[in-house]
Amino acid sequence: MKCPDCGAEMNHHADKVDYNAAIDRPELIDPDFGGVVEEAHTCSACGRTEMRAARED
Amino acid sequence: MSAERPLFIPVILGTPRQGRMSEHAARFVLGEVQKREGVETELIDVRDLSLTTQDEGGAIKDASFSRAVARADALVIVTPEYNHGYPGMLKHALDTNLKEYVHKAVGVCGVSAGGFGGTRVIENLLPVLRELGLVAIYWDMNFSSVGKVFDESGALLDESYVKRADKFLGELIWMAKTLRHGREQVKL
Repeated sequence: MKCPDCGAEMNHHADKVDYNAAIDRPELIDPDFGGVVEEAHTCSACGRTEMRAARED
Repeated sequence: MSAERPLFIPVILGTPRQGRMSEHAARFVLGEVQKREGVETELIDVRDLSLTTQDEGGAIKDASFSRAVARADALVIVTPEYNHGYPGMLKHALDTNLKEYVHKAVGVCGVSAGGFGGTRVIENLLPVLRELGLVAIYWDMNFSSVGKVFDESGALLDESYVKRADKFLGELIWMAKTLRHGREQVKL
């Protein structure tokens, strides 16, 4: 994932199951977890953090 | 490159209550953070945040608060203990962010009029902070009998708090540096 600010490669360092997001985006639910698995990525150059659904890869 | 950027560690004052003694504690801790080389800080007062009470969570972000937390490497939360818990306004504010907190350090300063130094509010706040993705350090600051720690103008009356703040901030900065490296360099 590229940083929207500086274009550097971001580091995937955390996952979080978002159960509320499953209400709005049921197509992204991971059936093994019962919610949307969100990945946290942080830019190694500027420190910006972004989250995205793992199934959006 | 990341090592060249100063750390940013804002201090959150967690109560809007009139006459709050926690403001003295927050300003004292802010001053101690400002003494640290390579660390930038600012005071975030929940009283100043623009947060409606007609909704909750990410839908009501205060843009300046979210920007500050996104930039932060660590947070200091200064909170009084109200009926053994945290102020509702603090929780209301914390709940407006999520991605901004993930794998960042947090240290908590409890404030109480009595002798327990906010230990109960700290214990109650820890599971909330964990769920937000923050990493709590295991040094706390406890401002017991806060009316005796500061005078009415906010001047510190008990110099032992300088040493306590030094230990607290030492651990918080170590954790902030370590977690910044982890966020930016260590793959899951």
